[in-house]
Amino acid sequence: MPFGRSFRVTQLRSLGSLWPWLLVLLALVGVRLSKGAGFADAYALMTRPFWPGSAQGEWVRSAQQLGDQARLSQLEVDNQRLRHLLQLERGDSAFEGAAVISREPGGWWQQLLIGKGSLNGVGVGDPVLAPGGLLGRVASVTPTTSKVQLLTDGGSRLGVWLPRIRRHGLLTGVGTPRPLLRFLEKDPGARPGDVVVTSPASTLVPANLTVGVIQSVDDRAVPATEAVVQLSAPVQAVDWVQVRKGAR
Amino acid sequence: MAALYRHGWCGATGLVVPLLTLVSPGFLKLDGVGPAWGLLWLLPWALVDGPVSGAGAGLALGLVLDGLHLGPVSELPALVFLGWWWGRVGRRGPQIERSFSLGLLALLGSLVLGGTMLAQFAWLGEAGRPQLHTLLSQTLITALLAPMLCSLQLLLWRQQTAGLRG
Repeated sequence: MPFGRSFRVTQLRSLGSLWPWLLVLLALVGVRLSKGAGFADAYALMTRPFWPGSAQGEWVRSAQQLGDQARLSQLEVDNQRLRHLLQLERGDSAFEGAAVISREPGGWWQQLLIGKGSLNGVGVGDPVLAPGGLLGRVASVTPTTSKVQLLTDGGSRLGVWLPRIRRHGLLTGVGTPRPLLRFLEKDPGARPGDVVVTSPASTLVPANLTVGVIQSVDDRAVPATEAVVQLSAPVQAVDWVQVRKGAR
Repeated sequence: MAALYRHGWCGATGLVVPLLTLVSPGFLKLDGVGPAWGLLWLLPWALVDGPVSGAGAGLALGLVLDGLHLGPVSELPALVFLGWWWGRVGRRGPQIERSFSLGLLALLGSLVLGGTMLAQFAWLGEAGRPQLHTLLSQTLITALLAPMLCSLQLLLWRQQTAGLRG
């Protein structure tokens, strides 16, 4: 009897000394049940300095840009071919780079003078582009210069297209840095932030060129909705422009 | 009496007007609007050289400046009128010398020029607040620059005519 009692007491004591291990076991069971909580978090904390940083992000972004550019140029070629088939555009248009030699974006007239004229094949009505989008159209030419009427000029009128709501509008210069977009109907569903491009049906300017972004919409305007457009090409900062010769 | 126009180099200084209009220096603009350079050259010329020479100079300037601008709106009628009027002021009244008088004449001239332009824009249906803003800004900056620039030219032209008479 004394032997059996002492054995049980020893067993209990050895079990009592094992309780820390039991706690560890319970913790491990908890880790198992929580799908690695604690371990994964500790690993994340320790390896944070070695995570893929901005350099790798830029690498991925540049690869994406390259892919987008290739796709864009392919679509442009395709688009031009289709427009040519539809006879919306003559095939012999070409770009001519020209320096801005006089700039008058404010005052009575909003105009630019560029350093290429009729000797370089520039003609009245040719669209003038800058990084960012369309700037305006050639209003008059001399042998070596051309005067460009900006989209902001009071006499400028241009048919434009809103791809999101699939509506046409008339972009009218009013003498301020932001021209007015007049819709043909009431409440067309335009919103600030909508992109404005040149009309795909236009034979005066190349189609689908970015013009600007709608800044505010006035649905109470009479006779139809009007919107103020922020142009995307920075007139004040542009030193060189591209004239699309023979685009008409 | 009129003598300046007989000297080619005096008249040739008027070429500075289209040049400055094209250069359009940004630091001399008020809220994006530059001064009426034509008026700043025409005022001293007409005051010294009389109404006929002033109207002729206004006509020449108007033709050149209209060629440099877009659209059918013209500066010519106002420039011819101002050349003639300032010529009469220079001939009939006491001699204009003070900076304040030059500034006031330039201010009135700029208002007349802007007024005729605004009327033409209104006739075309394009007048609005931006054009009114241009008128006011141009009037202010022209009147501010006139005492400084016109008094120097006035001095030069008077020296020339005095030399010619002497």
